[in-house]
Amino acid sequence: MIPTLGTLVLAAAAVVTIVVMIFSLASARFASARALSVARWGIGVFAGLITVASVLLLIALMQSDFRLEYVASYTERALPTGYKFAAFWAGQQGSLLLWGGMIAWMSAIAVASRRANRGVGEAVTVGVLATICGFFAALLLFAANPFEVISGIVPADGRGLNPQLQDLAMIIHPPTLFLGYAACAVPFAAMIGAMAERRTDYRWLTDIRRWVLFAWLTLGLGIMIGAWWAYIELGWGGYWGWDPVENASLLPWLTATALLHSMIMQEHRGVFKRWNVGLLATTFILCIFGTYITRSGIVSSVHGFGESLVGTFFFYFIVTLTVVSVAVFAWRWRSLEPQHRLSSMLEREGVVLIANVLLVLMMLITLVGTMYPVISRTFGDEVTVGASFYNRTVAPIGLLLVGLMATAPALVYGQQAGKRLGRSLIGPGIGGAALTAIAAIFGLHNIWALIVTLFASVTFIAILANFLHLVRMERSHTGAGVLPVAWRLLDANHRRWGGFVVHLGMALLIVGFAGSSLFPEKTTHQVGPGASFEVGRYTLTFNGLKEEQRGNYTAVVASIDATLPGGKVIDVSPERRFYDKRPDEPSAQVAIRSNWREDLYLILAGWEANGKVTAIQAIINPLTMWIWIGTTVLAIGSIICMLPRIGRAAGIAVNGGSRRVEGFTKGMTTPATNGSSMRPGDSEDSSQSPQRPRRPALEPVHAAMLTTADSSKADLRTGPAAAASCPS
Amino acid sequence: MTRIRTKLIIALLVIGGAVTYLVQAGVRTGWVYSMDADAFLEKTEFHSRRVRLTGSVGLENVDSNPAMLFAKFDLVKNGKAVPVDYRGAVPDMFKPGHEVVVEGELDANGVFQADVLLTKCASKYDEASPHSQEMMEQGEDAYGESDQ
Repeated sequence: MIPTLGTLVLAAAAVVTIVVMIFSLASARFASARALSVARWGIGVFAGLITVASVLLLIALMQSDFRLEYVASYTERALPTGYKFAAFWAGQQGSLLLWGGMIAWMSAIAVASRRANRGVGEAVTVGVLATICGFFAALLLFAANPFEVISGIVPADGRGLNPQLQDLAMIIHPPTLFLGYAACAVPFAAMIGAMAERRTDYRWLTDIRRWVLFAWLTLGLGIMIGAWWAYIELGWGGYWGWDPVENASLLPWLTATALLHSMIMQEHRGVFKRWNVGLLATTFILCIFGTYITRSGIVSSVHGFGESLVGTFFFYFIVTLTVVSVAVFAWRWRSLEPQHRLSSMLEREGVVLIANVLLVLMMLITLVGTMYPVISRTFGDEVTVGASFYNRTVAPIGLLLVGLMATAPALVYGQQAGKRLGRSLIGPGIGGAALTAIAAIFGLHNIWALIVTLFASVTFIAILANFLHLVRMERSHTGAGVLPVAWRLLDANHRRWGGFVVHLGMALLIVGFAGSSLFPEKTTHQVGPGASFEVGRYTLTFNGLKEEQRGNYTAVVASIDATLPGGKVIDVSPERRFYDKRPDEPSAQVAIRSNWREDLYLILAGWEANGKVTAIQAIINPLTMWIWIGTTVLAIGSIICMLPRIGRAAGIAVNGGSRRVEGFTKGMTTPATNGSSMRPGDSEDSSQSPQRPRRPALEPVHAAMLTTADSSKADLRTGPAAAASCPS
Repeated sequence: MTRIRTKLIIALLVIGGAVTYLVQAGVRTGWVYSMDADAFLEKTEFHSRRVRLTGSVGLENVDSNPAMLFAKFDLVKNGKAVPVDYRGAVPDMFKPGHEVVVEGELDANGVFQADVLLTKCASKYDEASPHSQEMMEQGEDAYGESDQ
């Protein structure tokens, strides 16, 4: 029953998306609020149907219903329940169903959380979301139906899950990445809607700010969980190999990073409007493109995916998205005129502009490198692009970006920005240089490592100095204790401090990247039982091989004791696992001993004659732990950015209400009447506009750091501490 | 206004120049021609360069030992064979008759000295296994170079 029912539900879901598209078109054309309401509900119905389909597939997986091709291909009876669950996204069809389900839920949440009756823009947004949902429904129905019935006799047992996917990281990696991809669809749809309505102010961006942040965070986490999986499961000692599949997930993250920064510029200064529209579109297209690369088999012949209808589907979807985006861009090009011109390269806008250019260049280089085998194949001999290409291009640009990041706390707007930047960076610069010099004296002579040390330490000191400076300022006015003041400062501007926490995480990440990629020590040891060998600061003793039967696999364990520098002995035993269903594909289980200084990483490479000679590869990966710590800090920072303000400063109106778009809360308007977006509130500097929310008492202090010297004159006096606290 | 525009253009030119330089350096080290084993025998211009070859492991003359970290075999394509001497971790999927990819250079004796050995996987959506070998080799590649 499940196969038929599942396919029927998918078909119903596809029909629903068509209905939603028709209703949202009608709503946009005839300004019908009722049609929009139907369309909005339709998205919810679609999400419900996709959920039903997902539950059906899950039931089939749990019950080992091998009538389904999918269940037979990716599970077996002996598979632990957790992995039966994870098998949902182990294969092509299931993972596309998951992707589709996430798109559906993201769309439903987006539609429900946006205020009703927002007009043409809303109708178009819902229509675009429905189209994306419809694409996935059609894809699942015609090209990758997870409910396809097996042809021939139903097997007694399934083929089992790929051994390398039987790992915790692999259970959470794909859903996180897909969640990020799916979350990118919402800002994309909102962008098309806003453009249709000719809304070129910053308010439509405020509506999707959290979505972009969420998408950026989940994409980043998805990438890093994938890296973690590669590190612990693939057994080559690294976490990132510039494989096409990895590159594909990195591309949208790079453009989303650029977008997060340029969005702030549009909000504060009315600039970078074209960047934002372009980056929003590019990010979503790259999400789809990433799926296309990994699923169509076009790029890496080593992957051997095989050509399929899925690739064709994705190809035409990308073409459609690109054409629509370019058309929208061209259509609204003139109304996306910046409201303000750059006055100094060293002001915030200038630095953000350069950062954006660098991020887009990183994306383009990675894109061309990933696609180059295909491009070169078309014109003659195929050229493969190895990791060293990216290490020599993308990595140095990334390092330059970290250098720019170090200046972030000192950046302000306006013509005086250059002077201010210089003054605020003297202290952190001296501190960073001193730390770098100390590192050099203690034997760090690699130029890249020294640059990383400098940039990372300046980043830390600049952020800390900036925060402490503000705490001191505020205390001198209010006389309150350090902790309450610090808390109120943080709480008063989540976006600023959350952003800086993200920067700190980034600095830690770069330290981890540098340590593990510049100074790994890789050795191979051929040893017999009882032999001892030295690896870095550790003495390892090989006790011999043993075989253990566990669950659905047999493990060959190389029992190894490691003596730590302190004399403590621990067990670090790498394994090779032979899964019952796939005895030809043994999978390496590495042994890792991690501390803040380095990872000891052991691989069982091979053996002969029952372990009389066993090959052990040992790698010392310095500072690797900081990669995972940095990722955690980065995630915490992004969450801080997303959280609403917690406390309230006494007697102060918390901002919010005034940002709502006025004149558009009732009924429907056509783009023509709504088109002239240059209302007074949208004019040049939002901080001077009458709609600018009143600042809470604490804000003037750091507003002085945030806003321009010129705008602060008008604005800052309103706060009690204003005149004295303006550092310029 | 014009001054800042000039500065902006100069900044972008500097970035453009630096990136072009980086890309050139990257291309020199990271881009490798890849071809089938039989085509390689004919294209003598590639005999003194690092290349990537595709073919299958010959059914005879295979001498490999995972514990000793080497594999000697004939890389066969369309009836023609290139003798390969590979040193490094032997992938689990390495077997006579299987399709493999090797990367390296031809030595004076006409033996292809490989330091990268990848196995191809036939399954349709089997992200992991070939992926792992690919990354394994690329990782070694990257390490080898950063050590210099």
